[in-house]
Amino acid sequence: MQQKITHCLICERSLQFTFGWKELFKRELPKMICESCEKKFQRIETQEEEGTVSLFHYNETMKDFLHRYKFLHDILLAHVFNQVLQQHLKHEKSIIVPIPMHVDSLKKRTFAHVDELLKAAHIPFEHHLIKITGEQQSLKSRQERLQTPQLFEIIEHSKIRNKNILLIDDIYTTGTTIQHAKRALKEAGAMEVRAFTLIHG
Amino acid sequence: MNKKFRSLPTTRRYKGLLVEPKIRNFFTGRIWLRRDTPFPQEKINTYIQHHYFEVLPAVLDQPIRQCRRCLNTNSRKFVSFHCAKCGEICHYCRYCITMGRMCSCDELLLWKNEHPQKTPQSHTFHWQGQLTKNQARAAQELTRSILQKNNHLIHAVCGAGKTEVLFPAVYEALQLGKRVCIATPRTDVVLELFPRFQQVFPKTCIHAYYGNAPQQQGFAQLVLATTHQLYRFENAFDVMIVDEADAFPYTMDEALQQAVIKVKKKEAPTAYVTATPSTTLLTRKTKEQWGYSFIARRFHGQPLPIPTFQALWNYEKTFQKGQIPIKLRNWLQQKLTNNEPFLIFFPTIDLMEKAIPLFQQIDASIAAVHAEDADRKEKVVELRNEQRKGLLTTTILERGITIKNVQVAVVGAESSIFTASALIQISGRVGRNKDFPNGDIVFFHHGITAEMDLAKKRMLDFNRQLQ
Repeated sequence: MQQKITHCLICERSLQFTFGWKELFKRELPKMICESCEKKFQRIETQEEEGTVSLFHYNETMKDFLHRYKFLHDILLAHVFNQVLQQHLKHEKSIIVPIPMHVDSLKKRTFAHVDELLKAAHIPFEHHLIKITGEQQSLKSRQERLQTPQLFEIIEHSKIRNKNILLIDDIYTTGTTIQHAKRALKEAGAMEVRAFTLIHG
Repeated sequence: MNKKFRSLPTTRRYKGLLVEPKIRNFFTGRIWLRRDTPFPQEKINTYIQHHYFEVLPAVLDQPIRQCRRCLNTNSRKFVSFHCAKCGEICHYCRYCITMGRMCSCDELLLWKNEHPQKTPQSHTFHWQGQLTKNQARAAQELTRSILQKNNHLIHAVCGAGKTEVLFPAVYEALQLGKRVCIATPRTDVVLELFPRFQQVFPKTCIHAYYGNAPQQQGFAQLVLATTHQLYRFENAFDVMIVDEADAFPYTMDEALQQAVIKVKKKEAPTAYVTATPSTTLLTRKTKEQWGYSFIARRFHGQPLPIPTFQALWNYEKTFQKGQIPIKLRNWLQQKLTNNEPFLIFFPTIDLMEKAIPLFQQIDASIAAVHAEDADRKEKVVELRNEQRKGLLTTTILERGITIKNVQVAVVGAESSIFTASALIQISGRVGRNKDFPNGDIVFFHHGITAEMDLAKKRMLDFNRQLQ
């Protein structure tokens, strides 16, 4: 990123900065949104899915955020969750693998939204999957999703074998995407595959 | 058969392009994102090949980075990123992003040929109302200025009936085949003006543009738009009218100026309509010798109600303690017993949200509104229909709303958000109805500011000119 952010990325109010020992030594990423916007996102208390951790509920504020980020393509909003993502992922020992986008949709969106979230949080990641269909899961009914043939291919099997992997996606809706990716990785010989999503829909 | 056809001389075929009215109507005076038009891409490409469009980069890099659509040059508002579409570093403007993001590798379309209508539209003027003497004079002066292509300022008190003053001048311009735009900062105002103008000009094609407005057919000779929507026009209008020109924060002044210059044709006159002209506007008026109309009298002829000041020391602490300050409470009780609707203005959403439960304990129908409130319109309607006793509000309701016999209080009138012009607008909510030309307007304060004094002085000046 090119500039220091002085105004809340969501509501444009100017940000209050506090300077103390904590900020000096903990080297936290800078805050990007104001407290009142932060409060409007709702954290998840108890996890609903086995093997998947999600951080936020899909409430109105989150809906707006995702609309502006993914559909209005405001890439700067990748930084909104920088601190919380860093906190959760910085001690992760497994290989972090973001769910990839199909080449065509990537060109259309001009950026990979999951990759950008991780980059903003300074979390290193590796790509081991390729998405082979351009269909969007969000446009399908539940029945259709359950019947979809495998969505992913493995780039190189040898790099996966006997490894622990943490999959990252923006939102968990029916779990189809995550299930497909998990299966593909397991079949390629991965040891343990867990998942982490920003939102649970 | 086939051979015969092939042997026909191909040179005789008409090679030009018959322009579809739909496309011409849509694009005349517009500046539009190439990949996001309501028409098929191939069709747009054909028109480009036939030089109907000028194709422009969406973001300029020379001499400084600038958004070609909204003309923003503030570097803080640009974001650079690695673009997966073009494979290079792209920049996009966040200022006008709600109209669709455009980055450096996007292109804008600008319609080149300007001959919108072969036959001029006919217009009729349906208005039963009667202008007051003052309104009629202002209307005449405005019409003269517009015909002479001179800028004009209409300075009129709140409740003078400014919209009616525009009717004759707009009619005159429409009849001469001119394209007219009325711009205002607020969507609420566009929505209020649209049906009124449709009624007065029933034969005219009028479009209303605001965020998420539906697509409208035909060529609009009269356009009502929020100032934000002006970014999608360029070199389009023969007459510009900017309503409530002061409603912008001071820093926005320049952006508005730029937008107005961009959307109007070079020679086109601009008229500003306001109750509280900024000093910049007044200076420009004098320097550039604009036409000027002044209406000190409300349409019903009664003087403006003048605010009274009441000290409300440490009101913030009192609210913190979970109490309504006693003087405000008494004021409220009085309005409730008299059964008069009221508006209470607050300087911040935070303070208002602390206060609302306390007010609701006294009367459950009282509600709070602010800019992000989705039910804002409904709540105001309910107040008007007497389903609610009153509303707490931020400055969002400072202008454009009319409620019969409304009583107004400003809490924390010393706050910096309550500038003189905001206070004048707020006071202007009172006594707009001819059956209730008086009403109560109180500034509750923790110390009197120069802005409060100035607001009161301006209103007294208006009333003095009545005599």
